[in-house]
Amino acid sequence: MAEISEAPDSDSSKLFGSDSKAPQRPDSEPEFDPKLMRKTKPGLKRLFLTFSVLFSFLLGFPFLWKSVEIYRSPLPFREIDSLSTQLRSDTLLFPLHFHALFVGFDSDPDRLRWSILSEITKLTSQNPKCSDNYTLSVTVDLGSRCLRGRTSSPHSSSYQCGSVTGGDFVQNDDVAVDERLASVFGGKNNEYSMAVVKGVSERAVVGKYRHAWMVVGDGSDVEMAVVKVAEVLIKVFINGGREEGLIRNEFMPVGADGKIVLSFNLLNADPHDWVYDWDFEKIDDTLLTPMIEALGPVANISVESQVLYHTPKASFSYWNQKLESYVFSTKDLPFFVNSNEWHLDTSIAAGGRSKILQFAVYVPSAKECPLLLQLPNGEISKTNGFISPMWGGVIVWNPQGCLRDSEFKPSAKNIIPIQQDLENMFEVFIGQFRQLFGFKSLNVYTGASGDWNLLPSERGFTEWELDVLSRQHTCFNLHSCATTLGSLSRLVQSLPRMIIKDEIGKQVKLSLEAAKLALSNASSGVYESSAASSSQARSLAEDAFFHPSIMSVSYYSFEHCFAVYSPFFLPVSMHVVLAALRELRRYKQEKAKYLAWKAKANTAT
Amino acid sequence: METFINPKSLFHLLLLPCLLLYSSIAYNSSPVEAAMHTNNWAVLVCTSRFWFNYRHMANTLSLYRTVKRLGIPDERIILMLADDMACNTRNKYPAQVFNNENHRLNLYGDNVEVDYRGYEVTVENFLRVLTGRHETAVPRSKRLLSDEGSHILLYMTGHGGDEFLKFQDSEELQSHDLADAVKQMKEKHRFKELLIMVDTCQAATLFNQLQSPGVLAIGSSMKGENSYSHHLDSDVGVSVVDRFTYYTLAFFERLNIYDNASLSSLFSSYNPSLLMSTAYYRKDLYKRRLEEVPVTNFFGSVMETIHTDAAYKALSRRNSGRFEDEMSLDQSVHHIERRMLIKVNDGYEIHDINPEGEEGASKCPWSTFRNKFQKAENVDSLVNYGLVAMIPLLVISTWLVQ
Repeated sequence: MAEISEAPDSDSSKLFGSDSKAPQRPDSEPEFDPKLMRKTKPGLKRLFLTFSVLFSFLLGFPFLWKSVEIYRSPLPFREIDSLSTQLRSDTLLFPLHFHALFVGFDSDPDRLRWSILSEITKLTSQNPKCSDNYTLSVTVDLGSRCLRGRTSSPHSSSYQCGSVTGGDFVQNDDVAVDERLASVFGGKNNEYSMAVVKGVSERAVVGKYRHAWMVVGDGSDVEMAVVKVAEVLIKVFINGGREEGLIRNEFMPVGADGKIVLSFNLLNADPHDWVYDWDFEKIDDTLLTPMIEALGPVANISVESQVLYHTPKASFSYWNQKLESYVFSTKDLPFFVNSNEWHLDTSIAAGGRSKILQFAVYVPSAKECPLLLQLPNGEISKTNGFISPMWGGVIVWNPQGCLRDSEFKPSAKNIIPIQQDLENMFEVFIGQFRQLFGFKSLNVYTGASGDWNLLPSERGFTEWELDVLSRQHTCFNLHSCATTLGSLSRLVQSLPRMIIKDEIGKQVKLSLEAAKLALSNASSGVYESSAASSSQARSLAEDAFFHPSIMSVSYYSFEHCFAVYSPFFLPVSMHVVLAALRELRRYKQEKAKYLAWKAKANTAT
Repeated sequence: METFINPKSLFHLLLLPCLLLYSSIAYNSSPVEAAMHTNNWAVLVCTSRFWFNYRHMANTLSLYRTVKRLGIPDERIILMLADDMACNTRNKYPAQVFNNENHRLNLYGDNVEVDYRGYEVTVENFLRVLTGRHETAVPRSKRLLSDEGSHILLYMTGHGGDEFLKFQDSEELQSHDLADAVKQMKEKHRFKELLIMVDTCQAATLFNQLQSPGVLAIGSSMKGENSYSHHLDSDVGVSVVDRFTYYTLAFFERLNIYDNASLSSLFSSYNPSLLMSTAYYRKDLYKRRLEEVPVTNFFGSVMETIHTDAAYKALSRRNSGRFEDEMSLDQSVHHIERRMLIKVNDGYEIHDINPEGEEGASKCPWSTFRNKFQKAENVDSLVNYGLVAMIPLLVISTWLVQ
């Protein structure tokens, strides 16, 4: 109805500004109320100005937001969760092949296999974390021909008939028999063999490689042999000579970065009496180096040594007239190490997360010499040594000059003689090192059905013991890696304002890759590389979790950000917004006035 | 038909809970083996500096001596002190710190190894020690290298208040920070059991927020109470020991490393009238009974030992003639290589792509302004309303955080 024309009465409005103060007109137009009407269209300039300021603020807001964004390297949370569930649900399975060879028996191999399997299932304990997936094949060698069981692995089928006879076991030289069987069986990575032979003298030996043999008398039946075979397969080859399947955590002294430092200390209790030194380099080369190389996949080991003086012990000993020596008992062992005076902790080669194992040789003073350890059953210890799990071992060595005072020159510096004493001492050290890893230092395994002789190896650990270590450490490392990464992901997700550096993301990715590699190697039976990869996975996961930048005090909480930015932005933004709103309201009012006038004018005309 | 169904349904009804029970038992019986107790650690923290806080340093040093006397070696003690008392110019007895006015024992005499001294005693370093997140260059003596078989004694003394502990007069450790650090330690299996002793005012509030199992905590006073010093040494001029620590030391004076006094006897030896405050301890997170736990489980060091039965005899078979061989050149070179120190593997270091981000921006509550704006007429009052509107923002955000 009323046309709102755009024809501006701009001259008159410009003359008087855009105020609502209208000039004094004669009352030609009806009821012009300056407060409610205006004659000209309100201008948009002021509105445009204020809104442009507001919009520039709003435009800059995303840039500001992006610039103060906290940098969080994206962590693969899903893969971490999948690794944890994978390890938890399908337990880590190590494939093992057993081959049992019966020489001189006339039995059906399948029946033998069935009875061995039933014995094995009686002995196998439920192992929730890591279990072993074994296959068993049985061969009966009758001399002229071989009866093979229905299921046979390629390992068992590679056995040539007649290569093992009863005559091989006649002589009592276990080492030679061991070598002979090694040439027959081969002994590749996850294949274990067991030979049962009828012979004259009864003997049960586990070799250095991956086989064992048993000589049974003529009269014994095959069932007894079956029980013993099952026992050695499970208790020795799988469990490593321990009762329970898994090594407990206190017998895994590998540091979080996969390194161990062996620190050998020669402690002279009282140098006024005598001073002893040792030729450590030679014995390190010959005795320790092969062992360290053998343990390469499990841990990265380095060795250091020192000689200390004025190192008395903290416990007491008493004179025993019958033994003519000073005696200390096993009750004193927990207090033996005098940590105040024995400054063993001076290693510079160990990083922050390596594990240090201390091996100390204690040379007592003349007042307490000779010093012997008495066991609870009254016997005197043959080794005079003890270990403390996760700490190390101590041996008490009594010098020659103890008893014969007259021939002895106390002030000269003496060297521990290599052949007689130092070698023996280091054999005890290697025994202690084995104990720290959960094995026994004795060379005999006493099982439920009889004793087995365990042949020792020059490298300190036999092949099958290294396999046990590799398997157990792979299992432990993978579980530790998964829990560490899980803890890290939970921690990162619970602190949304914490900076996650790129290094952490990279370490997590590498750790997951190493864990996958370890899993695939483990399921295909390559123990050594799976142990090495699992150790690498664990150390990377620990590096990521213990990264020094993940500190809860060093990220900024929301109220900190608010307190920093609000004095800058809040007052300014409030004024800008208020100005824009004010201009908008004014424009609306002016527009309403104009429209009212227009309507009035139209109704008037 | 009904009689046929009823026994069957009854059987099913009985079967279902039995199955549930069996499955729950089977699930719970998965062996969670507790780790063996292998070693003890002590973290002793004195959070005050300046001369008039002499007694806090004397407290910490006295406990350090006690713990060392009972067997924990220096390598397993982390001692954090401001260490400005012994050589303070106001100290009439230079290089000597006493905890009793009879001056019988010089705490600073010999064999004191301080790991964090002076301005290194900060909340950040303390939390780094607890959680284990150090820079790679931090030496082993400054790290808490505990494992899952360790028992840790954590002793803190200084000035504190309701849910906080003041560090060196410039920052605070809050109870939720401590609880968070302990939670992370537990997740990473850095301790088997933890005993927290706090000797400050309102000490029991500091461990209010702890949730991790295996933690036992005792504080010298409850909320609203102060902890007082024991006596003033008029010669040195300041108070030299606090009451709680004084009576703790009196308890340990009677012990040696062979004793097996229990923790409950320690905790019950605190007499509130002598302490002038209530020593409150919290044992809901600690599973063992206090009567069965000897104090040397935390304050002393008793090593688990296993006898070595035999030597590993393989090596005696080797040629003894090998020892007389000269070391060949190859062997010596190999030797030298092996003796090199371990190099840090930096193969996968990456430089930061982005600089560390700044803090996030705040959000303006647009709606409150708009509402207030639309209601008001006057522009000036509008501005006032706007300024006042910021206050509820602050209140809301602080309430949200708490």
